Amino acid sequence: MKTIIKKLARVLLTPWRRRYQKRNGIVTNQPRHELPNDAWLGEVSQMLREGKPYAIYVKGYSMRPFIEHTRDRVFLEKRDNYNVGDAVLAQIEPGHYVLHRIIEKRGDHLTLQGDGNLRAVETCRVQDVSGVVTQYIRPHRTIPADDPKLVSRIRLWRKLRPMRRFLLFIYNGIR
Amino acid sequence: MKIKKGFELREVCGEHIIVAYGRENIDFNKVISLNESAKYLWENIVDKDFTAETLASLLCQEYEVDAETAGRDAKALLDEWIKVGLVECS
Repeated sequence: MKTIIKKLARVLLTPWRRRYQKRNGIVTNQPRHELPNDAWLGEVSQMLREGKPYAIYVKGYSMRPFIEHTRDRVFLEKRDNYNVGDAVLAQIEPGHYVLHRIIEKRGDHLTLQGDGNLRAVETCRVQDVSGVVTQYIRPHRTIPADDPKLVSRIRLWRKLRPMRRFLLFIYNGIR
Repeated sequence: MKIKKGFELREVCGEHIIVAYGRENIDFNKVISLNESAKYLWENIVDKDFTAETLASLLCQEYEVDAETAGRDAKALLDEWIKVGLVECS
C-alpha cells in the first residue's frame, strides 16, 4: 500500500520534477566516470589532512534537502574543532566514509545524521573527521556554510525532525 | 606553459588522477584521469616551465616514436590540457 502511494505521488509530481530538473540543468542517465566511493573519499580525507581544501560532488540522497545528489558540490576544509550543525566528512568505520551533519557532541564523541535520514545515525570520534563543509556549491550560486539564512534553515530542519518523514516524502516527489 | 597551482597527480584504485585543490580552484569541477604516458609526461614537467616541444622530446626519450608522431601527440595533449584549464601561460 505504502509503495503504491509513493509511486502514485511520484507520477503525479512528475511535471514539477521535470521542470525542476530542466531549470537546474540536471541530466539523468548521463554516463559518468565514477571511482569507488570509499576509496575516493579516503583519498579526499588524506588531501584534507594534508591541508588541501577540496570541492567534491556529493553522491546519494541522505543530505536532502540541503545537498542534492550529483547536482551540488561541497567545499571541504580541515578544522581543529567541529561543532553541532556542521556537515562533516568522517570515517565511521575503517574504510567507510560519510558526509553527514553532527547532531550531538559529547567530549570527542560525535553523533552524525544525514539531513535526509529519518532514524539512521552514525557515531565517530573527533579524530575520524577529516573536514567540514564550508561552502555549498549549487549550479547557480555558492552559499557559505555560515550564511545566516542557511544556518537558520538547517536549525529549523532539525526542529522539524518529527515531521521529517512527511516533508521528505513531498520533497522526494518533486525532486 | 606551466601547470596551474593546486593541481596534483594522485593515485586512487590504480588510476592516476588529477585533482585541483584550494580556494582558487573551487570552480574546477572535473577529475581528470591520466594514462601511463600522460602520467610520465606530467611527472617530468610538474613545477617546470614547458612547451609542446618539451613534451615531444620527453616522449621520444621514453618511447620508440618518430619525432613527427611525438610532436603531434604532444601538441594534442597540450591542447587538451589548455582546453580543460590545467595549464597556464607563464
